[in-house]
Amino acid sequence: MEEKQLTEKESLELIASMIARTKTRYLGSRKMLMWGYLVVITAISVWVLVASTHNLVWNWLWFAIPLIGFPTTSMMSHSQQRHRGATSYSDKVTSRLWTIFGISEIVLIIMCLGFYLLGETDCSGAILVYSILMTSGAEIAQGLIVRENCLIYGGIIGLLVGMITVCCIVGDIPLNVNWYMPLFILAWIVTMIIPGHILSNKEKQQ
Amino acid sequence: MKELNPLLHSQLRLAIMSILMNVEEADFVYLKEKTESTAGNLSVQLDKLSSAGYISVEKGMSGKRPRTICAVTKAGREAFEEYVEALRTYLNL
Repeated sequence: MEEKQLTEKESLELIASMIARTKTRYLGSRKMLMWGYLVVITAISVWVLVASTHNLVWNWLWFAIPLIGFPTTSMMSHSQQRHRGATSYSDKVTSRLWTIFGISEIVLIIMCLGFYLLGETDCSGAILVYSILMTSGAEIAQGLIVRENCLIYGGIIGLLVGMITVCCIVGDIPLNVNWYMPLFILAWIVTMIIPGHILSNKEKQQ
Repeated sequence: MKELNPLLHSQLRLAIMSILMNVEEADFVYLKEKTESTAGNLSVQLDKLSSAGYISVEKGMSGKRPRTICAVTKAGREAFEEYVEALRTYLNL
């Protein structure tokens, strides 16, 4: 592009053309898929190991999710920023939304560990409920911001599973591994993996 | 009839401003790619827009590589909006 004077009509055409060139939307499918598969693979591993050995020590495997997920997300964000070169307003809002959720999740995990180590009180159910409800809420918000229905519907199903979990915990219904784990895994597939693949296809089409 | 802002009424500067109006921030490589300009020309035009207070230019590092990030300022946004308004008047839109 040369540095030249334009007619009024050319100016307007140039503005429209530049706006069209920046229209490519980033939908964050890679991160969604990473978290979705990470949670599902961990959940299946815990389910199989606990069911086959009847040893609850395998529940410590849940910590693989934040230990792998958060550093991987951070690396993906840096590489994505370098690769894309531009950040839109909706990118910033959704990124901050998930950052707030991520930080609050870490704080909650530390709190629960503190309760367990200092007071021998097991409140691990809080991590489960919080992660499902907050993930679903953040996903619905992202869906509304980027106008993607698959995120909204996925988030609503996640919310329903979160509500069932809350009712079970409050009503003292044991979250038995044989019925709760398949439900939990299904919820993450519907909430993160399916919308992740839909968005990934849309990003490829762009 | 309002006069068109001469700083914006040039092809490359208007292209840069149009892109920056549509994103929160963009780096030098992105602007170069979207405007299909040369690095030297783009750099000169960014300096002009920055001197006028229309954009902010932040030079930093991304890993081991230097990265220049540009964003439109409040003054730049207002100037662009006025420019588009003036264009509409000229074209009777």
